[in-house]
Amino acid sequence: MSKAHDMGGRLDSRRIDITSSDVKFKADWEKEVFAITLALGFSSLWNLDRSRYARESLEPKDYLQFGYFEKWLAGLINLLGENGIINDGTESEDNFKKSSFRVLEAKNVKRLLHIGGPTKRDSTTEKNFNLGETVSVRANNSNTKIEKGHTRLPDYVKGRTGKVIAYHGSHVFPDANAHFLGESPEALYSIEFKSQDLWGKCEHVEDTVVVDLWESYLEKFK
Amino acid sequence: MKKDNLKQFYKEFPSNPDARVKALKSILEKEGLIDQKALDEILDTYQNKVGPLNGAKIVAKAWANKKFKEDLINNTDQVLKDMDLNGRQGEHVVVVENTETIHNLIVCTLCSCYPWPLLGLPPSWYKSDAYRSRAVREPRAVLSDFNVKLPISKKVKVWDSTSEIRYLVLPQQPPSSNGLSENELVSWVTRDSMIGTGFPKPPIGE
Repeated sequence: MSKAHDMGGRLDSRRIDITSSDVKFKADWEKEVFAITLALGFSSLWNLDRSRYARESLEPKDYLQFGYFEKWLAGLINLLGENGIINDGTESEDNFKKSSFRVLEAKNVKRLLHIGGPTKRDSTTEKNFNLGETVSVRANNSNTKIEKGHTRLPDYVKGRTGKVIAYHGSHVFPDANAHFLGESPEALYSIEFKSQDLWGKCEHVEDTVVVDLWESYLEKFK
Repeated sequence: MKKDNLKQFYKEFPSNPDARVKALKSILEKEGLIDQKALDEILDTYQNKVGPLNGAKIVAKAWANKKFKEDLINNTDQVLKDMDLNGRQGEHVVVVENTETIHNLIVCTLCSCYPWPLLGLPPSWYKSDAYRSRAVREPRAVLSDFNVKLPISKKVKVWDSTSEIRYLVLPQQPPSSNGLSENELVSWVTRDSMIGTGFPKPPIGE
């Protein structure tokens, strides 16, 4: 996985372009990509973490040049490729079992969008940190099981120290789920960092950044 | 350590996105993997049914009703469920309240996570590299791009949506709207005020 997508804190001198902000889709093909991506998301062939990983794994040059839905489109093609639905000319299609594919029908759209994909699990998993506690973030934010694998631990907080301000129960762990290693739910916390601890120079000493982090991203503060 | 062998199949497709989608769609149609009516239904949902009006209704209700505001903040998912406002990309929601001393701002630095059932699909700038990069490092400079100036007495709290928790800002009610009904208040709540890049304002024409 390249780190092109991990943008938090990257130096960027561009102004935010707030014009035409109400345009949902800039072209018809964007509508198609959006609808097809959501529909195939219900196919049961992959999960949300896998689709994020697929987008992050695009060649860095493409990730940075492609528009939002162009990234969705390329990611989707890669997911269909790994499932044998499309091929690159070097592989046969026979690893695709059509029988296991759930086609989304119009009558189910409303209900399924309403359910979405909750990630909170009832299981009580290990919880080593308490509200108000000062914690450290792991110094290394690489996926621990898969080389260059998916993670939701942003670069800009690795090795930093913050405070637990919320506990959200156990949630599906993206680092495992994105690679079909099971949901492996872990305790999820909101950790508040002082901006000056993250950036050194900051706009206001009181300013903070809150990041949601899973149990195994965190360590006891020493 | 194990590797993941996700390959770059997209390279084999036309580079023009329009042609790329057409090529993909013809494969999916041939295999019978998509139902056009379902695609139309999805688009209709996000183009016509789900949008910032949903969030505005909640904010207006919270301004008008203290008890509701407490429930909304303390028991968010149940309240949204009761109002039929939960759903995809809004399965777990946290409402963060702006106060005299705190201004909240929402971003997703890793992709573009956004509370769809409450605000609809994100605006272009929310998905831009510039917003994703800068919001956590220099929120006040970002806010000035939106013509938002904060007093020095307010701290900025930026929420980076790295998990499946989605954040909604509960903006402060403008004093000039005091005494208005819940229905009237709805039109004061802007989308940007619920992301933290703007303030509520009187509806156009008033």
